[in-house]
Amino acid sequence: MRLNLTADRGPMTLGQKLWHFSWFFLLLLCVIAGIGFGMLYSAANGAWDPWASRQAMRFGVGLVLLLAIALTDIRIWLRYAYVLYVLVLALLVGVEVMGVIGMGAQRWIDLGFIQLQPSEVMKIVLVLALARYFHGASLEDIGRPGFLVFPLVLVGAPVVLVLRQPDLGTAIMMTMTAAVIFFLAGVRMWKFALVGAAVLGALPVAWSLMHGYQRRRILTFLDPESDPLGAGYHILQSKIALGSGGVLGKGFMHGSQSHLNFLPEKQTDFIFTMLAEEFGMAGGLTLLGLYMLVLVFGFAIALRVRNQFGRLVALGVTGTFFFYVFINIAMVMGLLPVVGVPLPLISYGGTAMLSILIGFGFLMSAYVHRDVRISRHGTSEDD
Amino acid sequence: MIGRHPLHTARKRQQRETSPALEIGRNRLLFTGAMLAAAFAVVALRLVDVTVLKGGDEPAIARSAAPTELRTGRADIVDRNGVLLATSLKTASLYADPAIVLDPKEAAAKLSRVLPQLGEAAIAAKLKSDRRFVWLQRHLTPRQQYAVNRLGVPGLNFQTEERRVYPGGPLAAHVLGHTDIDNRGLAGVERQFDEELRAREKPLRLTVDLRVQHILHEQLERAMRAFHAIGAAGVVMDVTNGEIVGMVSLPDFDPNLPTAIDADSRFNRATLGVYEMGSTFKIFTTAMALDAGVVSMSGGYDATDPIRVARFVIRDYHAKRRWLSVPEIFMYSSNIGTAKMALDVGPAEQRAFLSRIGMLRGSPIEIAEVGQPLVPNRWREINAMTISFGHGLAISPMQLVAGVGAMVNGGVLYPPTLIRNESGSARAGKRVISARTSDQIRRLMRLVVEHGTGNKADAQGYLVGGKTGTAEKVMGRRYKAKALMSSFIAAFPMNAPRYVVFAMLDEPSGNKETFGYATGGWVAAPVVRETIARIAPLLGVRPVDEQAPEIRRHVAVDVVTEKSGKRRLASF
Repeated sequence: MRLNLTADRGPMTLGQKLWHFSWFFLLLLCVIAGIGFGMLYSAANGAWDPWASRQAMRFGVGLVLLLAIALTDIRIWLRYAYVLYVLVLALLVGVEVMGVIGMGAQRWIDLGFIQLQPSEVMKIVLVLALARYFHGASLEDIGRPGFLVFPLVLVGAPVVLVLRQPDLGTAIMMTMTAAVIFFLAGVRMWKFALVGAAVLGALPVAWSLMHGYQRRRILTFLDPESDPLGAGYHILQSKIALGSGGVLGKGFMHGSQSHLNFLPEKQTDFIFTMLAEEFGMAGGLTLLGLYMLVLVFGFAIALRVRNQFGRLVALGVTGTFFFYVFINIAMVMGLLPVVGVPLPLISYGGTAMLSILIGFGFLMSAYVHRDVRISRHGTSEDD
Repeated sequence: MIGRHPLHTARKRQQRETSPALEIGRNRLLFTGAMLAAAFAVVALRLVDVTVLKGGDEPAIARSAAPTELRTGRADIVDRNGVLLATSLKTASLYADPAIVLDPKEAAAKLSRVLPQLGEAAIAAKLKSDRRFVWLQRHLTPRQQYAVNRLGVPGLNFQTEERRVYPGGPLAAHVLGHTDIDNRGLAGVERQFDEELRAREKPLRLTVDLRVQHILHEQLERAMRAFHAIGAAGVVMDVTNGEIVGMVSLPDFDPNLPTAIDADSRFNRATLGVYEMGSTFKIFTTAMALDAGVVSMSGGYDATDPIRVARFVIRDYHAKRRWLSVPEIFMYSSNIGTAKMALDVGPAEQRAFLSRIGMLRGSPIEIAEVGQPLVPNRWREINAMTISFGHGLAISPMQLVAGVGAMVNGGVLYPPTLIRNESGSARAGKRVISARTSDQIRRLMRLVVEHGTGNKADAQGYLVGGKTGTAEKVMGRRYKAKALMSSFIAAFPMNAPRYVVFAMLDEPSGNKETFGYATGGWVAAPVVRETIARIAPLLGVRPVDEQAPEIRRHVAVDVVTEKSGKRRLASF
């Protein structure tokens, strides 16, 4: 009853927004991030420095951003979606240019307290831009192939830039997220089939364009034991660690694989392995369960939101989150090649953490403003 | 509900337009959700699989990941007390695969900032080569390795290698030798035991005592400086088993820096250099004559006039111009008397004797640098006479030390060794003179230090006995005037000898303290005295009261001063 009243009575007050805010969801994020701090504490052999303390600080900053974004009217985000997209794309071009000028394969911009990777932020902003585009589209619009050219350009530009860096993992994630949004916006199935076939056809070409290390990763993925001390080292050590964890793990701070540095990148991409080594299958499944809760929440919000923009944003963010989790965990368990995707809210890394929380900010904004109706052209219907 | 009225129609319109889209959207949303859930289920199942179900798989993976072959490192070398003399450290060596280096010029520019000693042009040339492997720098320090890693240049790699490290620096340089950059032994024990050091797991234990080595090194270096000598050598040997406790040759080198060694420093004067030893050889001649029975301690020879043979004249430096008994010949270092002694024994017998005590073959000491003695082709009477006082036969100091050890230890020759006998069994020796002759030689050597030319070697309380040796160096085919090889060989304590100590200075010049003399008794004997005074306590030799009757009984000599047989017993 009250929801309907709110929707019909013009702009929401701050109090109403805070009331609509899902504090349970926030608590869920804090629990997952807390697990992350614990693992980083363990990864540093029982020290807050250098990882856990900084990660906690960034989480705090991210929470503030999340709240600020969530409490801002979703129509404002709709209005500025393209502007944000263009800004981040400019940053992405910026690092690309700087990289060419001679700072090596640099993917970040130094902001002092954080080294910002535009490609991470782009994952979220791309969702906003696509949601903005498809928000006003009717089924007939979407049926016209020409209508899809612009969103394909929206996806293509950052993907090409990110591939040039080269960062295969991020490029795949962007493409997959975009595909999900296209799918949910109502793009015909046969078009997906067409693109799928085209991708399969392009694989040999892509193979020939790949860097040696990328090819090696894929070959190693297919048979990690072919090169146990070289490219297969990561994944074998990860599997050994996972296997040695067993049902209940070796205990906090007692993971020998990670603490004796057999496990590479234990504080970033392979942190899930460390968790599973120290807390076993039980710990791993618990974390998966928590992630599952986040995803269920995201879907529930998407189902509940009454406007197309909010729904697509919610789904896009949830999808992005899903791909983070899925690619990372599948990677460390040898189901996917090693592509360098962090475990969201847990892996050490500022930009990924902030991007995720900003994304959840938009998700929450969609949830808070779930009953706001937005016209096809971006104005509120009750105006 | 009332509030919704005004919008009712608008929403209906919208629903008409978008309901198929929303319918599709909803179905697809559920489909997507199901897909994601399925994917999650796969991941969860996989987690159970790798953590629990395939848990038994772990050792197989772990084993396949283990390196199949471990390169065994070079064994350590320790001194007789287990003090580390040589060890191996793991280091990283930098190499490049030029095919992978993207931009050789840029890579060379970056690398030359980190490793400036390589030179940018040289690096660039290497990186441009067609080969797939070029060394850039061997044995980086961890700091250098870190700096190279930070450059992030593709195509640069590290090879883990070992580097030989000698904690003592030059202290035992000529004993240990050194290795090349690939850790192959190039000199000394490192070369002689190259194969064994590679194969061994336990450290190789030497007979050298690092403390003795240090003292000998210090004393020789000091004397070399004081007398402006061009070189020096010293040896300390355990006479009871032939173990070399100290061996020094100067100038020496730091085996940690094998590329900086010049030829003169590399030359081992203690084993590779062969010299005419001069009067120290009189020990052998006297022992030979006494052992052969051609003369007794109370016998003697007329040393009034120099001996003229063909164009040679043999004369005495401390000429007494009278008949001298054997102890006097030894004490006054009479060339005439010693030559006559050798003639009495005969050239063939002398040659056989010298061969028996190892003077005619290279020393069996276990290092690669062993010099072969210079032995005359024809051994005539004149050779017998000059060799009797140490001229005309060049041997290495190591041969002399081993031979003198046999003269004083009761008459048993032990081949000198640098390797500690770990089995504990006694080393085999070879009897070369009788115990009685050996006892007489001890008394004669003590006499030289107590009353003769070797008094500057007298380390109080340790009953030092010895013999000086001063030879003119041969330059080309003639003796070089004023270029002396001054040495002193000693043993202590003379009542029951434990160690032989040898010191030699190459081309010393006398100074004010020695009144310009540069002979063995003036320049080498003090080195021996100081060395013995410092090493005897370390080696467990207790000082004794040298005048005590039970000591005198072992070292006193009855010296006859006239051919008539009138004896002076008390003074010596």
